[in-house]
Amino acid sequence: MVAEHPGVYLRLAAASVRATARRPAHLTARTLAAALIVAIEVAGVMLMLDQFGSIGGWQPAEVVVLFGLGFAGQGLALVFGDTLEASKVSELVRRGTFDQVLTRPASPLGWVVASYVDTRFVGRHLAGLATVVWAADRAGVAWTPRRAGLAALAVASAATIIFGVLMAAAGFTFVTVQGSEAVNVLIYGGQYVASYPMQIYGSALRFLFTWLVPLGLAIYVPALGVLGRPGPPGLPARLAWLTAPVALAFVAVGGLAWRAGIRHYVGTGS
Amino acid sequence: MRAYLALLGAGFQRQNTYRLALVAGLTTNAFFGVVRTAIFFALYRERDQVAGLDVADALTYVWVLEGLFAVVWAPWFWELAEAIRSGEFIAELLRPGDPYLRLAAFDLGRTLSVVATRTVPTLAVAALVLPLRLPGTLGGLALLAASLVLAAVVSFQLRFLFASAAFWTPDYRSMFLFAFPVLWLASGFVVPVDFFPDPLRALVDWSPLIPLVMAPVRVATGRSAALTVAGQLAWVVVLWLAGRLVLAVASRRLVVHGG
Repeated sequence: MVAEHPGVYLRLAAASVRATARRPAHLTARTLAAALIVAIEVAGVMLMLDQFGSIGGWQPAEVVVLFGLGFAGQGLALVFGDTLEASKVSELVRRGTFDQVLTRPASPLGWVVASYVDTRFVGRHLAGLATVVWAADRAGVAWTPRRAGLAALAVASAATIIFGVLMAAAGFTFVTVQGSEAVNVLIYGGQYVASYPMQIYGSALRFLFTWLVPLGLAIYVPALGVLGRPGPPGLPARLAWLTAPVALAFVAVGGLAWRAGIRHYVGTGS
Repeated sequence: MRAYLALLGAGFQRQNTYRLALVAGLTTNAFFGVVRTAIFFALYRERDQVAGLDVADALTYVWVLEGLFAVVWAPWFWELAEAIRSGEFIAELLRPGDPYLRLAAFDLGRTLSVVATRTVPTLAVAALVLPLRLPGTLGGLALLAASLVLAAVVSFQLRFLFASAAFWTPDYRSMFLFAFPVLWLASGFVVPVDFFPDPLRALVDWSPLIPLVMAPVRVATGRSAALTVAGQLAWVVVLWLAGRLVLAVASRRLVVHGG
């Protein structure tokens, strides 16, 4: 492997941020639009939940805390990982750009991620955090250092897992070149599932998103602690300590899938 | 007329060739449909009716929406705008016949393929396993079919208007950045518009976004079906006039960068 100089990747990332910042109005508009999507989705869900009063014994504001944590995690993952989405990796492969990346004395993952940092998703991340603060206030959460730590744990773990999904998906795209939009089920669908209290789902969905693609574990279980809820049988709030190791294990598997994809990479010729 | 029908057929055939994308799309729709179904079952556990909708209405909304998703957010959403920016669009203006009708025929062929391969199977399978509310009479089914086709037509007409922003600015995507979240909410993709507060709902009900999803849902559940289809038709006429007007103005000022 190559001698690693983290400084190289930082400079690459800084360069890609500077490149987008050359059009400040454009960057601001894109960031605001990313935040607006979160606000609109939360507003719609809030309108619906208010009509019903509660879901699975949860108040609307409590559910919206889950939405906020999910959006914050997803936004953070997409700042670095959006470039790993099927359509973008597919383009890197088809244009032959990735052939050049492989010949460089740098880690391919580090190069790809650092070269295409997308700051607009900071808008989604911050809007998610703002949603958490707003909804927690409405739900009557008294913030303590422990609760803030649990919220941060949820955001970081969710971001880690989504980044793992993106890496695995990119590895898959190296082999198939075309990629598949079905990956969106895991990235956006997983966040959608984890935005409602997990006890409302049947056992199959709950198992899938608690243990296989553990976004439910990453968002819902720490949120139980934030909201001061004990949690349903089989998924108690005290499982929160498991969140970080499971997220790390998941991202490690994603990394293996990325490497397996590169090993099978044959390029598309020219 | 025959030429336009041939274009419609060609569009249908073209969309039919994307088999793998079809499987991925159906999987995505089925997944979100199952999750939304679970959410509505949980919401209606202690309530029978909310804002005039019962659980059967809500589930019908879910599966009509999943079925129509790729009709509204067509995979070729930006194709026309890109053709305008690159200058390829000029060929459309040079061909014989009416450019708006030609584009409409080809696009309708593609969306009808989506209706046949995604909307209808999605709804049919969901209706077999879930208590949906679908018309039981031939007349009712005919109205539903008409409503789905009109949704496809309106989706083209709105896409055309969005794409025509490219006549004025090469940065057409920026214009859409802020429009997208509003469309997403107002056309009923987040939650049924029936759950909106009254003033907002009245505003949305008179917008051209209703024909896309909410109108077919209302026709399917048999709430003033004939009147709803008539409303969709009225929007087709209005958007038709708007589209032609935009095309007439735009083609007069179209600048193609040669090379």
